[in-house]
Amino acid sequence: MRSTIATGLAPVYWLGNAPYQFADWASGLFVSKDELQQENEDLRARLLILERRALKYAALAAENNELRRLMNSAEVLDDRVIVAEVVGVSPDPYSHEVVINKGLRDGVTPGQAILDAHGLMGQVVQASQLTSRVLLLSDSSHAVPVEVVRNGLRAILLGTGNPDALDLVHVPDTADIREGDLLVSSGLGGRFPRGYPVAEVSRISKEPGEPFVSIQATPKAELNQSRLVLVVFPPARPEVSDAGDPAGEGE
Amino acid sequence: MLSVISYPVFVLSVVLALVLSISLFPVGWFEFRPEWLGLVVFYWTFRAPAQFGVLLAWCLGLLLDVLEATPLGVNALAMAAVAFLVLTIHPRLRMYPLPQQCLMVFLLLGINQMLVHFVKQLLGADNTGFSYLWPALTSAVLWPLVCGLLDHINQKLG
Repeated sequence: MRSTIATGLAPVYWLGNAPYQFADWASGLFVSKDELQQENEDLRARLLILERRALKYAALAAENNELRRLMNSAEVLDDRVIVAEVVGVSPDPYSHEVVINKGLRDGVTPGQAILDAHGLMGQVVQASQLTSRVLLLSDSSHAVPVEVVRNGLRAILLGTGNPDALDLVHVPDTADIREGDLLVSSGLGGRFPRGYPVAEVSRISKEPGEPFVSIQATPKAELNQSRLVLVVFPPARPEVSDAGDPAGEGE
Repeated sequence: MLSVISYPVFVLSVVLALVLSISLFPVGWFEFRPEWLGLVVFYWTFRAPAQFGVLLAWCLGLLLDVLEATPLGVNALAMAAVAFLVLTIHPRLRMYPLPQQCLMVFLLLGINQMLVHFVKQLLGADNTGFSYLWPALTSAVLWPLVCGLLDHINQKLG
């Protein structure tokens, strides 16, 4: 029911975002040729660097898979992603949600993880035919299972309602954790794919007498700035996105 | 009460209110966003109580529920309450001067916000004191403008 109405209301989202599309278009009109060439060259240079890194990565991934096969464990496949654009922000100032312009029609289903260029951003909570709603990491009802990349220490990262600070909870007083540690998604719980950067530990305060330390972390993703995001499709269930299509025919 | 009303203007005002209630603003302004759909419901039940009533307000509130991702029916109930209260006080409301109308807008939309806030609190939202009443206040300030504008268009086209 909600998804049907939301599909009907897609033009409202489109209209709400129209001033920004128009501003983008208008600023695109007044770019000089030199600027474009300069930007093009910069992008080319950057592409070259990233391609070199990707080459090395391919070799490493192959080697990693080879080692895994030697150890008789399953091969790791790369996740498939599609690019989506943020077209709306939750009008409620106390909830951290955004609306993206990909929906059931593109195979997006609730529960999928959302990334931006820097790290994990959140997860899809509702999907209609053309748009879906994403709950951000910083919402006070959101939690991600993470691990410290340095030593594999596992913990839960909770949102606080503040886009610049997350809480790492239930870490014992004696645990080996330092400021500046990178937290990546641990993949436990099966909702988020493993190994994407989530946050960086920014402040640790030990209080004598408390069983747990209180740890604050800064999200890696630019939660309130990114306009282009990636929707991750877990490799193990490509049939899920196919199963979404028959439901789409019945709209 | 208007002798003639223009249905296209009604549809347009509703679409505009829905767009304005999700359009992007700097984060600091979100708290003060007027309750646009509430204003539209207030205006149309005030001006044309024979045509627009509780049921239509409920349907419009349902649309707002979907846009704001609140549990289905919360805004619908609150909008229906606004329409009901406008219908109840309608004979007196017509006699009020503009400042007093603004006060009524504040009261009724305040009740609307309060209902929505109560349900959200029950479902575990953060407690933010009385700041949830800001939209009612900004709506009351905007009421003369909205009312005058819609009246003007209505008389031109109706």
